[in-house]
Amino acid sequence: MIGIKSIVLAAGLAMLSVGAAQAAPAAPATKAVAAAPAATVSQDPMLAVDGAPAMAIDPKVGQPVDGLITIQPQVTPNGQQALWFHNTLLMPVITGICILVLVLLGWVALRYRRAANPVASKTSHNTILEVLWTGIPVLILLGLALPSIGLLQAQYKPAPKNAVTLKAIGNQWYWTYQYPDHGGFEITSNMLKEAGEIGKGERARTAIDGPRLLATDNRVVLPVGVPIRLITTANDVIHSWAIPAFWIKLDAVPGRLNETSFTINKPGVYFGVCSELCGARHGYMPITVEAVSPAVFAQWIKAKGGTMPGAAPAPAAAPATATASIATPGAPAPTAAVVTAGQ
Amino acid sequence: MTDTALTPSAFEAHHDDAHAHDTHEMSFFARWFMSTNHKDIGTLYLIFAIVAGIIGGGISGLMRAELAQPGIQYLGYWASFLPGGEQGLDHSLHLWNVLITAHGIIMVFFMVMPAMIGGFGNWFVPIMIGAPDMAFPRMNNISFWLLIPAFTLLLASPFFGGAGNGWTLYAPLSTYGEPGPSTDMAILALHLAGASSILGAINFITTIFNMRAPGMTLHKMPLFVWSVLVTAFLLLLSLPVLAAAITMLLTDRNFGTTFFDPAGGGDPILYQHLFWFFGHPEVYIMILPGFGIVSQVISTFSKKPVFGYLGMAYAMVAIGVVGFVVWAHHMFTTGLSVNTKMYFTAATMVIAVPTGIKIFSWIATMWGGSLTFKTPMLWAIGFIFMFTVGGVTGVVLANGGIDDYMQDSYYVVAHFHYVLSLGAVFSLFSGFYYWFPKMTGKMYNEFLGQLHYWVFFAGVNLLFFPMHFLGLQNMQRRVPDYTDGLAHWNWVASIGYAVMAVGMGVFFVNLIWSLLAGKKAGDNPWGEGATTLEWTLSSPPPYHQFETLPKID
Amino acid sequence: MVIDRKLRTALFAVAGICFMSGLGWASIPLYRLFCQATGLNGTTQRGLVAPGAVNRQIRIDFDTNVAPHMPWKFAPEHPSETVDIGGRDMAFFTATNTSDHPITGTATYNVTPAQAGKYFTKIQCFCFTQQTLKPGETARMPVIFFVDPKILADPDANDVQTITLSYTFYPVDSTKAKS
Repeated sequence: MIGIKSIVLAAGLAMLSVGAAQAAPAAPATKAVAAAPAATVSQDPMLAVDGAPAMAIDPKVGQPVDGLITIQPQVTPNGQQALWFHNTLLMPVITGICILVLVLLGWVALRYRRAANPVASKTSHNTILEVLWTGIPVLILLGLALPSIGLLQAQYKPAPKNAVTLKAIGNQWYWTYQYPDHGGFEITSNMLKEAGEIGKGERARTAIDGPRLLATDNRVVLPVGVPIRLITTANDVIHSWAIPAFWIKLDAVPGRLNETSFTINKPGVYFGVCSELCGARHGYMPITVEAVSPAVFAQWIKAKGGTMPGAAPAPAAAPATATASIATPGAPAPTAAVVTAGQ
Repeated sequence: MTDTALTPSAFEAHHDDAHAHDTHEMSFFARWFMSTNHKDIGTLYLIFAIVAGIIGGGISGLMRAELAQPGIQYLGYWASFLPGGEQGLDHSLHLWNVLITAHGIIMVFFMVMPAMIGGFGNWFVPIMIGAPDMAFPRMNNISFWLLIPAFTLLLASPFFGGAGNGWTLYAPLSTYGEPGPSTDMAILALHLAGASSILGAINFITTIFNMRAPGMTLHKMPLFVWSVLVTAFLLLLSLPVLAAAITMLLTDRNFGTTFFDPAGGGDPILYQHLFWFFGHPEVYIMILPGFGIVSQVISTFSKKPVFGYLGMAYAMVAIGVVGFVVWAHHMFTTGLSVNTKMYFTAATMVIAVPTGIKIFSWIATMWGGSLTFKTPMLWAIGFIFMFTVGGVTGVVLANGGIDDYMQDSYYVVAHFHYVLSLGAVFSLFSGFYYWFPKMTGKMYNEFLGQLHYWVFFAGVNLLFFPMHFLGLQNMQRRVPDYTDGLAHWNWVASIGYAVMAVGMGVFFVNLIWSLLAGKKAGDNPWGEGATTLEWTLSSPPPYHQFETLPKID
Repeated sequence: MVIDRKLRTALFAVAGICFMSGLGWASIPLYRLFCQATGLNGTTQRGLVAPGAVNRQIRIDFDTNVAPHMPWKFAPEHPSETVDIGGRDMAFFTATNTSDHPITGTATYNVTPAQAGKYFTKIQCFCFTQQTLKPGETARMPVIFFVDPKILADPDANDVQTITLSYTFYPVDSTKAKS
């Protein structure tokens, strides 16, 4: 990985000068862009000429790390809240309960073994004790339920107006994505196979694509710092769209739409897997999200043939009246925001 | 205990089937194939469960072998044994889904349930309440024999393509994702197994309500009988819903209905609601009799009556009741509304309260006792701790907000194996060692029993504890291959399987050795702590016990 | 007499089984009713008259899907609109049969976020009936709807800024076509 990193670094520096100056301000060098020969950067800022993805991957974030026993680092506010809930409240409580039971069992086994206590008592009731071990768990559970409900409320907060909509469609066995707010173009995301397994015309996975079974040929690109509205559906059977680093898992059910939202606060590449059994290649339809700055996102949208809704930096303040329904043009597909911008 | 207080009606009860035939008059065929004797049927159930356990456990061995290292190692080779031979990657991957489906269905419907309810329930519920037999002995026989075609159908299905839907059989994967007869065969297998369990439930409820010996009030029944009673009610109320749901699957598959097909206005999520309305009580069906067994064993080897008997009994009732109103916590990622999710989060957490009562009451039963650590007691103590570990991860998973991370990950796999493979199975072994002398008249080998316990304990913990870590690092369920960043803990888990398998080897050695050469067991090998009625009988009990009904003070 | 008692208990048990079995089957209509009553799963409501616009707007996105292997094109005329809450609104979709034979389709639908289902009310919709398109035919399909102003009083739903109305077209004889 070291070798790759340095290549990435060098190429990334080259890219920085090419890319819009204000576009990639805070992106740390390791998250920069790798293009094979930097001179012939393709139109698509996320893709190198050979179609390989550009952004380098932090091997400690957004994917499983061998031997670790913890939850993956979280890069969304809801994920961080949930992580806090799990690590700070749930884990100590459940560890404490287990240790309590273990200590009690150990003490009982030692103190009341036959050798130490040949004559058993016949006590079989103690009202105070029974009330206590009913009441205390109730209190503990109440203490857990409140933050749990708070977390649910945060997760169910609907996406605001300026959200970017991503539509994920599950298929056997790949994902297709649409950006309804950006002209509705569609990208198909297939798992990248290993060098020994590819058919004709297929591209094999390389180290910069990501780990085996997680890398895809087309990454989903999303802006950081902007709320994302995720909607999912499926074409055949039930799939589930999941990115653990976002604390997001949402089933894609044929014949209906599901919705959730999240905001990514750190650029990077994040991997997930289909999380509902969907047939033979269930384990072979990964999800890859590349989170970039809004400016780079706009570039990418343009490169994909999409359009940004309205004047991008000015998110619609006051929405248009009902006349909007006639005003918005269909095919070029800027959405209602266009109308509002004109107001 | 053996006071004769016969009422005319009670006399009639045993007159029905008691004197007609005796063991030595019966042919092998008549005794074992047309059995109406609850102990013989119980034995059949136990043998069946052991066979199913070997098959289901063997399948998990195949799974752990494949998962030991990243990449597909053996699936293609195994698939080449199925009809059609090796047909490429998808065929191999489908075999994986067939394996996980078979493992789940076998362990749930053909191992744990037959052993707990059919085996120990049949053997000891009538004896513990002082009844000569079950209420409907012939129906009891049908219950058992329905399992044979059910199991045959399931085992045959891989040779017709294989059902790879998971034991949950989610539509639409199970309705149009899997053509061929094998999914139908698996569904029919579930129908038959379900019918078997429903008949058994009727039998247990009728027996427990009507055939208790004089003086054996409901509040004097041993906790194991309580646990089977609650379980029977759960079966009675949940299985018909499963039967309806999988019948709809069948008609969707074969007769063009669209109950779960969005194309015809159906809703695949409705299947999940129906399945889990059955499925959640089902997990209590698997664990409640275990609670009962552990209560008997802890009390016996502590030489103390169970602490807080009424609390223990009604905690099981409470678990059973609440178990019916928490099902959607299996569906937290299907797009439930926020209020639904909050309700199911809260309701699920409530279950922790009666469960906690049980854990602490077991410890309080031991407190002040005079403990001997015979093999059954070891398993029971192991059960308490392992069930606690599985229970607290259940509290984590109960949180709807947490499940956006955990759902369908190995964390869930770890959780339910801790409550089932370490919970239910530990209680099964506890009961098996506890009642082995009673059932066979021979003592098991104590050294081998304890060796089995410690090796198995180490093995399953090594096997299942790393699965928590895999889940937290996001390995999804039901995949034969995983990214290289998950290799370490998968390797550890597979080693754990090998250790566990060694432990099972010890068990079988012990079983065979004890059956052939075990020391003769007395009527009550466990001493004064064993106070339930089965210990007043000879070991093994007479073919027809309680020809004169015992009277309970 | 014991036999009678036993039979009675068994009959009670059988009654319980029948009841639960019936409940299992009845769940199909009951679930539909329940969804309609509560808007569960983003099930939309049906109404006759819009209550009249209140001074608040909401964005409506239109999402369209066609079953795989169904040779139709199906899209909203405008992918997104901003409407007055409480006001009657009409949106059009166009569907084209790209095959050489007539095809009848029917659309499933729901809205997201799910909590908006209770308030999204359709007065008229192409999805209430089956639609047949001749080869190559293009049809404009209307939906007339309003967003119930009660949404503003629901603490779970009053912060909804955008409602997505989703349709999926399925061929009517799809189950036969599959086998």
